[in-house]
Amino acid sequence: MKIKNNILPLLIFTIFIGAFFVLNLALPDRDFSQQENRALQKCPAFSLSSLFSGSYTSDYEKYSADQFALRDMWMPLKARAELLIGKTENNGVYYCGDTLIKQFEAPDAQKLEVKVDAVNTFASKLNVPVYFGLIPGASDVWHGKLPQNAPNSSQKELIDECYSRCSAKCIDIYSLLQSHSSEAIYYRTDHHWTSLGAYYGYEALSATMGYAAPDLSTYDRKIVTDSFCGTNWSSSGFTWVRPDSIETFVDDSGVEVDSYSKGTDSLPVQSGLYAKDYLNKKDKYSYFMGGVTPLLHVKTGNTSAPSLLIIRDSYTDSLLPFLTQNYSDIYVIDLRYFRNDAAEFAKEKHVDSVLILYSVSNFCADDNIVMLGA
Amino acid sequence: MVFSSIVFLFKYLPIVLAVYYIVPAKWRNVWLFIVNLVFYGWGEPVYILLMLFSIAVNYANGLFIAKYRENSRNTAKNILILNIVINLALLIFFKYYDLLAETLSMLPGISIKALGLGLPIGISFYTFQAMSYPIDVYRGDTEAQRNPVLFGTYISLFPQLIAGPIVRYKDVAEQLSSRTHSVDKFSSGVCRFTVGLGKKVLIANNIGALWDIYAVKGAADLTVLGSWMGIIAFTLQIYFDFSGYSDMAIGLGRMLGFEFLENFNYPYISKSVTEFWRRWHISLGTWFRDYVYIPLGGNRRGLKRQLLNILIVWALTGIWHGANWTFLVWGLYYALFLVIEKTFLLKALDKVPSFFRHLYTMLVVTCGWAIFQLDSMKAVWTYFKAMFGGGAAGLYVSGDIYYLASFAVIIILAALFSTDILKKLWSGIPRRITKILCPVGIICILVLSTAYLVDSTYNPFLYFRF
Repeated sequence: MKIKNNILPLLIFTIFIGAFFVLNLALPDRDFSQQENRALQKCPAFSLSSLFSGSYTSDYEKYSADQFALRDMWMPLKARAELLIGKTENNGVYYCGDTLIKQFEAPDAQKLEVKVDAVNTFASKLNVPVYFGLIPGASDVWHGKLPQNAPNSSQKELIDECYSRCSAKCIDIYSLLQSHSSEAIYYRTDHHWTSLGAYYGYEALSATMGYAAPDLSTYDRKIVTDSFCGTNWSSSGFTWVRPDSIETFVDDSGVEVDSYSKGTDSLPVQSGLYAKDYLNKKDKYSYFMGGVTPLLHVKTGNTSAPSLLIIRDSYTDSLLPFLTQNYSDIYVIDLRYFRNDAAEFAKEKHVDSVLILYSVSNFCADDNIVMLGA
Repeated sequence: MVFSSIVFLFKYLPIVLAVYYIVPAKWRNVWLFIVNLVFYGWGEPVYILLMLFSIAVNYANGLFIAKYRENSRNTAKNILILNIVINLALLIFFKYYDLLAETLSMLPGISIKALGLGLPIGISFYTFQAMSYPIDVYRGDTEAQRNPVLFGTYISLFPQLIAGPIVRYKDVAEQLSSRTHSVDKFSSGVCRFTVGLGKKVLIANNIGALWDIYAVKGAADLTVLGSWMGIIAFTLQIYFDFSGYSDMAIGLGRMLGFEFLENFNYPYISKSVTEFWRRWHISLGTWFRDYVYIPLGGNRRGLKRQLLNILIVWALTGIWHGANWTFLVWGLYYALFLVIEKTFLLKALDKVPSFFRHLYTMLVVTCGWAIFQLDSMKAVWTYFKAMFGGGAAGLYVSGDIYYLASFAVIIILAALFSTDILKKLWSGIPRRITKILCPVGIICILVLSTAYLVDSTYNPFLYFRF
């Protein structure tokens, strides 16, 4: 019997590492992780130069972790273990009951000043009104849901500092969202605002931008999916949190969208306010406007209404349906991919006003905003 | 490559072990030599050449010294000195060149450019191993190794290549050519390796995240509570990381038939700084004792000479840990406490309740880690000020409470596991229960560690400066 007892550790260990060795070889590599919503590292091609530069081995290590057998099962296991030992955060996402909120850490004030100055420079080049809006995220507006004492920078202070430096017409979105903080204005599993949150954003913009926002009760709200698992769900490993539903408020009839997926010089593709394909994919938020595009041209039936240029991040995607009620032509630029001069573009299209609209987190993270000041 | 990685555990190790046990016994060392080089070259393939050079030089000089040591002692001695110079020259060039260049350039009229060479991984460990061999041959403590593959296997042996223990040639000489393999030995290796893996991945990495939060805070944000939590976290992190590595090395060694000496013996239960250094990184302490302290005369040439010897050994021990003058300060800091203890404090401590002796020791050790780990003496000073209430940020902020709540469980568990309480408890459990608990424990640690490694946002290698 003695031998039998001593052989157990040997068997457990060799079978464990041997089984995963074989499984990793046998299971096909995946290009994309639906659960994590990101491209996975493929097996790097071997070359002497990549070996000696060190990129081969580091890519190979990433590849081994990304393509590890049953990866989608290991991540939630780690997340559960972290919760069990008293941590309420995993991979930068706070676990707040049925809500997941991404941690926010304010960047250097100087870095922000450069971006606000770029906005100022941009505004000074144009003769039409330039509006500037920063959208607070759940980590601030839903501060009360965070784990007790959770370290988290204030977005309100950051917005105030940026606005006090900004010479464009700044729009207070924070106050209205804050006053509706008890409602479902952000997704529980994603960093974006919900269509309801976007409505309040639309309402907040109306006062300064001078259009009339119809009352909330006038909309015909439709749930288009109830299985949306957002980015916080993906990156945190807290995959047992129940999915969100996505709503639409505004009908897309009569609205045409030209999507310049390769920039202004290419021919546009016809798209719409809503891209139904995405409802069957992991990235369901891209249902709004069909995901990132360098330039969109939204043409509404309100031909007598003014035109608008929006320099934006993805929060604008779910806001656009509301704006179609008040504008004729809306041009939407994503600075990460738009390679022309935005001010020149605004003049060329004779837009009546410009809106620079960013979520606080993207405004902090995206350095392309500096290009506005060029 | 590091042990706590998916590539090592699930690709490298299965292949190494499978081939090792499939090929005929005489090919095993050749196989080990090859995979050692793969392991070593994984991060920096060019440095395989450096490794081969180091092996060749020490191998050849070992043979020469063995040839001359009986008949021409002086020739043997000259070769030995040459060998030491070559080894140290390589170490100094690759590890300290930039530090020396930077320091000398502070003098007026001197300007030496830093080279910015990447530090060859584990160079401090394997250089010390390699150096010990010709010395042992010269002293007649061991025979010279005639088989270059066996010698190469010894120098580059992957289990202890990058983070120790520093295995002296005479301790493994026989095992190199003939070692036994058994189910029992392999199984005990598995247990040891798994414990080490858990220490590194589940405890050290986890608690290290807390230190990283506080290590980067400036004077304005460093509270009393925060600075203590941070340095206590690092104290636990470095123990679990380092001793976990040694456990993994010893465990892997056993899986391959080797028996290495122990490197850690519950250092944090020490009741004096002297005792701490008998329990911490034992192989390094032994190396300095045998190859520096005793040759300098040790304690046989009077108290003054002994104190000087202590100072020299600890200055060297300090700077061995990294190319930064803070490591020298750290070494001298320990020299100071060791000298004080040697001259009078040890006797005085005997009369003090053991709780206070323990408290004193851990206070010295914990503060020592701040000198060890922070980048400059200025940062150390800021940190100490915060710890002892002279900082600008006050007692605590709400964030500290959050981190305390988040890390309390792991801190308490780690503190508990750093003592020998668990070992004592374990030996008290009846064998029929431990024989069930042991496999269950192995499975739990392997599964959890894998989960943490697959989703590894944080898996540092602390010895990149050693």
